[in-house]
Amino acid sequence: MAEIVLSGHGLTKSFGSAVALAGVDLAVAPGEALAIMGPSGSGKSTLLHCLAGIMKPDQGEVRLLGQRIDTMGERQRSELRRTRFGFVFQFGQLLPELPAEENVALPLMLGGASRGKAVEAARRWFGPLGLAGMESRRPGELSGGQAQRVAIARALVTKPAVVFADEPTGALDQATGHDTMRLLVEATKHNHASLIVVTHDPNVARWCDRTVEVRDGRLLVPAAAGAPLPGREPNGGPYGGPARPYAANAGPAEPYGGDRPVAGPGRGADTQDFPVVRP
Amino acid sequence: MRTTLGLSWRLLRGGGRNGLLGAGLTLAAVAVSTALLLFAVAVNLAFQGRSDREAWRTPVRAAEGTATAVQAVHQDFVRDRVIVVVDVARLSEGAPAPAGMRAFPKPGEVWMSPGLAELVKRLPPGQLGDRYGKPAGILGDDALVYPGELVAVAGHDRDDPAMKATGRVIPNGSSVPPTPVRDFAGQESMNGMVYRSLAIIASVLMVVPLLVFGGAAARLTVARRDQRLAALRLVGATPAQVIAMTVAEAMLTALGGALAGLAAYAALSPLLSGIEIGGGPWFASDLWPGVLPTLGVIAAVPLLVGVSAVVGLRRVVVSPLGVAKRETPPGMRALRLVGFVAALAVVPMLSRDTSAGIIAVVIGAAFLAINLIGPWVVGIIGRVAARTARGPARLLAARRLVDDPRAAWRTVSGVALTGFVAGFIGLASPDATLFETGTADRLRLSVDAGKAQATVREAKARLREAGLDARVTLDEPGDGPGGPADRDRERLIQISVNGGVDRVDTARTALAGLVPGHVPSTLADDDRVSSYMLGDIRTGTVVVLTVSFLIAIVSAGITAASSVLDRRQTYALLRLAGTPLAILDRARRSETLIPLLVMGGGSLATGVFCALPFASGGLGSTTGVVTLAVTVALGLAGVLGASAISRPLLRSVTANPAPRPD
Ligand SMILES: Nc1ncnc2c1ncn2[C@@H]1O[C@H](COP(=O)(O)OP(=O)(O)O)[C@@H](O)[C@H]1O
Ligand SMILES: [Mg+2]
Repeated sequence: MAEIVLSGHGLTKSFGSAVALAGVDLAVAPGEALAIMGPSGSGKSTLLHCLAGIMKPDQGEVRLLGQRIDTMGERQRSELRRTRFGFVFQFGQLLPELPAEENVALPLMLGGASRGKAVEAARRWFGPLGLAGMESRRPGELSGGQAQRVAIARALVTKPAVVFADEPTGALDQATGHDTMRLLVEATKHNHASLIVVTHDPNVARWCDRTVEVRDGRLLVPAAAGAPLPGREPNGGPYGGPARPYAANAGPAEPYGGDRPVAGPGRGADTQDFPVVRP
Repeated sequence: MRTTLGLSWRLLRGGGRNGLLGAGLTLAAVAVSTALLLFAVAVNLAFQGRSDREAWRTPVRAAEGTATAVQAVHQDFVRDRVIVVVDVARLSEGAPAPAGMRAFPKPGEVWMSPGLAELVKRLPPGQLGDRYGKPAGILGDDALVYPGELVAVAGHDRDDPAMKATGRVIPNGSSVPPTPVRDFAGQESMNGMVYRSLAIIASVLMVVPLLVFGGAAARLTVARRDQRLAALRLVGATPAQVIAMTVAEAMLTALGGALAGLAAYAALSPLLSGIEIGGGPWFASDLWPGVLPTLGVIAAVPLLVGVSAVVGLRRVVVSPLGVAKRETPPGMRALRLVGFVAALAVVPMLSRDTSAGIIAVVIGAAFLAINLIGPWVVGIIGRVAARTARGPARLLAARRLVDDPRAAWRTVSGVALTGFVAGFIGLASPDATLFETGTADRLRLSVDAGKAQATVREAKARLREAGLDARVTLDEPGDGPGGPADRDRERLIQISVNGGVDRVDTARTALAGLVPGHVPSTLADDDRVSSYMLGDIRTGTVVVLTVSFLIAIVSAGITAASSVLDRRQTYALLRLAGTPLAILDRARRSETLIPLLVMGGGSLATGVFCALPFASGGLGSTTGVVTLAVTVALGLAGVLGASAISRPLLRSVTANPAPRPD
């Protein structure tokens, strides 16, 4: 079995009498992109929140690189989320009064980086994400897709081990959603981070290495990290290759090979200069 | 219309816990505004009422041949209180009864106010009662400035010396020599006019921040709704429906708030009527603004909120996406600065002699001008802070100031404007040292020069008879109060009494009627009315500052809470992503504190500047400095406290881990 970054075992969670999670086992390999699908109210967000240390599960355990995180106190988990995890939500996560570059720089500044260094590091993400020239725009002046790409940059800028995304394209039209999703998957992979993404859209899920289905708080098919779903082909997207080993967390992440962006075939108008994954 | 109303009502109730909290905040804000607005209106009417009830004591000289009575007014004193003594004599049968009396008093009759009658019973007759004899009747409240006021109306024969008294009275305010009158309608006294003018200025100082606050509260209702309304627009509601619904909802909330404010005011007015001004408290009816003004306020408040809501909503209605997409607000031009400077340029032209109306207008304008440049200055502060910010909390705060300087200004405007009030009053207040307080044991009595020696002998005899240890001397000519003009007509008798205030009152009683129409008085007595005025200005200062602080702190608390509510999603998501609550909190604090320090200081300086033309105590006046220091300390503490209160709110909106996008 492949190395495991993040795992949950026997996770249960109830809200009053409503059972949101009824015993879930899930593991994610380094660099793996995992899609969580399922109908509304089936427990996807709750699972994500438990894995990300936002919520404590009622039972079960969550480990990051072998270390229990569900038993940590709120302060420690908060620190962990800030330093080891990245988050992309559906919308509303950017501070409306901050220019895009400062929104991206914020997590670095929270981690103690100087403002100058943080903003400089943040700016490097704009070109590769198709956001060149948008650095000083504010979220209200960006389209929905652009705002989500800023959010992706913000999630990745701290070089996290795992990126969590809860319906990151839910507020976008289909074409923009697909472009954004592809960027999310590629950028995450490029930074050797694992990705756990909740989505309704099977087409979106196709970009990921693996898909799990949640129904009534249970996984339909228990799946091991890195293993293809039984009876199904691996999500054959162009990035379904072998997962990269998890890279040690040191300093701000470099977007797509730092200052060596490589032009490649683009998919959407916004992403023409999107660099191909570094060989 | 009915469906619109019904829908609004359901929206109001169905808004969830946060929605209700928002509506509750608006309701509280409107309630406080309404209560204070009622107070500001009532204050003016209350002083008007006092003036009206006092008018009969300021006689108007009747035209030749129309007089029906003679009226004279002087002040007598007991302990440290003033007794207003009105002497009247009938000239013809047609003479009407003076105010508060059923009939014209017969010669020798004395009518007393309830307060005086009570005091006569309580003190030994030798100290007070013997001056007037038994009360023949009790004056009604409509003749009294305040409950418990000491007033006596003495009936005389038309030939009584008291009704013929000539010569100067020691100038102690409201004494009037015998004057033929047609009736007792009278006219407003100087004193009454001064108090009414001060009341107008005080109202301006209270109402301006109130309006700013009310506007903020109204915009708060819209801020709470605009997102939902934009959504309604997106699903196809017509602009008219959207407007009608918002306005109905805002006005419904405001009406509830206005009624709550009325109830709060009614509950507080017994407390307010205990505030002593001009020597005494208020009749309960004084602080009741009357049916029409009350209805006016209750109707005007929801209307203003409704109008403010419409204005705030224009953008949503014009474009359904206008709100969902936040855009950079249009820059504020330096034009505002020009308006501010223009308003201040007028100030040096004012002086103590300028009429109160004009002073009120100029001060109101300067005051509003601060409100005009407030957001502009906050924007500049924000840009400077944004450029220099190093840490995340500072940066967040600065960006917020740049993004919405109006909102930031709204949070601190109350306290900043209070700074203006404190600066103004702190400098304009007269100093206590202007008034005489000593020599409380030396009575003075002015007398016709020709009768001086005889009067001294008589005074000595009377004092001896009353068993008092007193020294009676006659001032040299020319020492009299009237200066050279009176030199030959009047002399001043000085009576030093040993043994304390009750002995002094015994002396006053013994000397009553010695010089018809004149009573002996100490220097302190003569300044009594003026020192009331000094005390009243202090009381007024405390009242006005309390009101502005109330507004300031409530508005700071409400805007802080509403800014948390408005941004709850972003805050929640930031916290999910691991942003420490402390950073968000520190950002919120700086966001208030930075503009508060700059604008509070600025408007305090403006207040001082506006008060310069009226300054008497000078900057060194302790009252002024203490007022300023207390204001600054309370302002900072109040605003920080108010925004600290919204901290649990921040915790609770961010604690919910389920921002549920689906
Ligand atoms: N904070 C909460 N309080 C109460 N019930 C909740 C809360 N969060 C989720 N639930 C309930 O748990 C179940 C799963 O919710 P969720 O994980 O958000 O579903 P999904 O994201 O798959 O739509 C639902 O029935 C939901 O109503
Ligand atoms: Mg969900």
